[in-house]
Amino acid sequence: MLYPTRRSVLGAATLAGLSLPSVVRAQAKEPVRIGSALPLTGSQAGYGKDFDTSMRMGAADVNAAGGIAGRQVEIVALDTQAEPQLGINAANRFIGVEKMPMFFVSWSAVVKAIAPIANREKVLAINNGANAPEIAHLGDYVYTTFPLADVDVTKLARYMYTTLGKRHAAVLYINNDTGIEAAKLYRDTFTTAGGTVVAFEAYDPKATEFTGMLLKTRAANPDTVHIHGLTADTPQVIAQMRQLGMQQRVTSYSAAYNPKILEQLGPAAEGLIVTSLAPGVNDNKNVQKLLDEWKAAQNRVPNGLPYDQYQYDMVWLTKALYEYLDKKSLPATGDTLKEALLTVKEFDLPMTGKMIIDGHRVNKPVYLLTVEKGAFVPLATLT
Amino acid sequence: MLDPVILAQILWTGIATSAPYVLMTVGFALTLKVTGLWNFAHAGLMAIAFYTMFFVLNGLEWPLAAALLAAAVLTGAASLAIEVWGLQVLRDRGSGNLTFFIFTLILSEFIIYVITLLFGTEPETLFKSILSPVTIIGQVAVSDWDKVAVGVAAGGLALLYAFLAWSREGQFLSAVADNARLAELYGISAKRAWRVVSAIAALFIVAAMYLVGTHGGVVPNSPLELILTAVIGTLLGGIGRVFAAAAAAVFLGLLQSFSILVIDSRWQNLLLYGVLFVTILLFPRGVRLPPLRLLLAGR
Repeated sequence: MLYPTRRSVLGAATLAGLSLPSVVRAQAKEPVRIGSALPLTGSQAGYGKDFDTSMRMGAADVNAAGGIAGRQVEIVALDTQAEPQLGINAANRFIGVEKMPMFFVSWSAVVKAIAPIANREKVLAINNGANAPEIAHLGDYVYTTFPLADVDVTKLARYMYTTLGKRHAAVLYINNDTGIEAAKLYRDTFTTAGGTVVAFEAYDPKATEFTGMLLKTRAANPDTVHIHGLTADTPQVIAQMRQLGMQQRVTSYSAAYNPKILEQLGPAAEGLIVTSLAPGVNDNKNVQKLLDEWKAAQNRVPNGLPYDQYQYDMVWLTKALYEYLDKKSLPATGDTLKEALLTVKEFDLPMTGKMIIDGHRVNKPVYLLTVEKGAFVPLATLT
Repeated sequence: MLDPVILAQILWTGIATSAPYVLMTVGFALTLKVTGLWNFAHAGLMAIAFYTMFFVLNGLEWPLAAALLAAAVLTGAASLAIEVWGLQVLRDRGSGNLTFFIFTLILSEFIIYVITLLFGTEPETLFKSILSPVTIIGQVAVSDWDKVAVGVAAGGLALLYAFLAWSREGQFLSAVADNARLAELYGISAKRAWRVVSAIAALFIVAAMYLVGTHGGVVPNSPLELILTAVIGTLLGGIGRVFAAAAAAVFLGLLQSFSILVIDSRWQNLLLYGVLFVTILLFPRGVRLPPLRLLLAGR
């Protein structure tokens, strides 16, 4: 009778291991854990939870394709409620407890709040959904993969002046980190282009009644109104505008690219122009795949599809960063991941296409959509 | 901005948007008058009222009448349950005011927490569309919601006035409010009066939350902010003066609306807190205007 020797057992095990599909081998290694700080509860949870789902879909697809450098991906999502203080708690948890060298974060106020911690601890914090222009100046360890408001808002303001021939704009904005800087950008760009901003009004984030502000705006007689708010307030502002007989063409940014807004406003949404910083179904066939995944899993389309595309892609971006580290035999730290981000620099991502990291900014084409017969349809692509 | 049409529009919209605040303030002030308690459980009842209507309309897809009825029954039952198994137990123990305050506030937080678990935290409206048809009357835009809001608030106040002034049960409430022990000597049950007032408050809360939920998005935490106006209105109107509290709620609505003429819109909500501070410091017993006949006589 033949007994297997220790050498033959090891050899057989190695052979068996090598012959296993890459997915199975990936499961045997230590997983790559991706930290994600999002509002999973609170008034912004409608977006936050969908972003989390999209990132998990990205992780599932990366894992199905063999993982990151042979390692499975695991998403660790923490709730921020879009509140700075909870964002700080999440950052401390990622760094102190989870020992992560990098994490993703969205919502401008939260990104700004966690920046000092990321810089102090030398952990890479990547913004993948907020667009406040100051994010470009938050320090050496805070980067963005999401185009900041100076990309879409400036292009939109120029488009309104030059292409649509609007000359008198009103800018209404939520009085928080999302609204303040973006509104100034719109005002400055529109003015520099040659137009006049006839009303520039901020409203309280908790406000539900906007009549006074809108009457002031109506008296200024603008021919276009730009609203830079959040999903909860923007439909209410537009509804009250229409009820006061204001029929001007309304513009907003990517937060208003949301199917719920069409439901809430019905015919009052007609003509609304929104921006998207990611290609649509007609521009990138992968987007349909994401939508199909959503329909299969949730029986609906996600809130804020362009944002979801970025969330999905962040897992693929992480994969590219870790593959760079493996190639250079570097450990994963905030410094080495930052080096990878800036050295690889150009990423070809499945949902958002080519992304070029330009220091603390990214530049992407802006896709304009408008509401026609109750649906968002492409209007223009601004490069 | 001083165009008469704009001023008329601000006046009208200010009155209309203060309607839900009038209703919740009346419920709060009436409870305070009759029971002597600052019943912060009203915030929890507001949440129950809104989410019951929301569930019946959007979950069960039943008609509005069924939603209103379900909300009235459930909110009324919750209000009575709080009175009978909560507040009455504390009264029987001789608990101090602070205990009542803590109990009602924590109860609201608990209800809101449970509702958050059940319904999530996304802003919800009772109907999918928040648009209301508009009629232009003398260049002033009057929406259907405005008309309903003003009608419901005015109707609610008129019914309450009639109930308190001309019904036997209403007069019992006034008697208990004036002096519960003396009322008991005359055979009027204070316990019954407290239960009646808790049911009436629930009806006002349902009406208020219907108006709030058809005008904009509501999240489970919203009632904790809404109740602030009821508290300020009650303080401003003077404790025990229910209809003055209603007038104070209208005043607060108009103050916020007209403030846009002199301050930036982002400061409008801050005004409420300013009024609260001033009222507590300078008018702890409310603002008391001289009687109308004295004003007319120029005295």
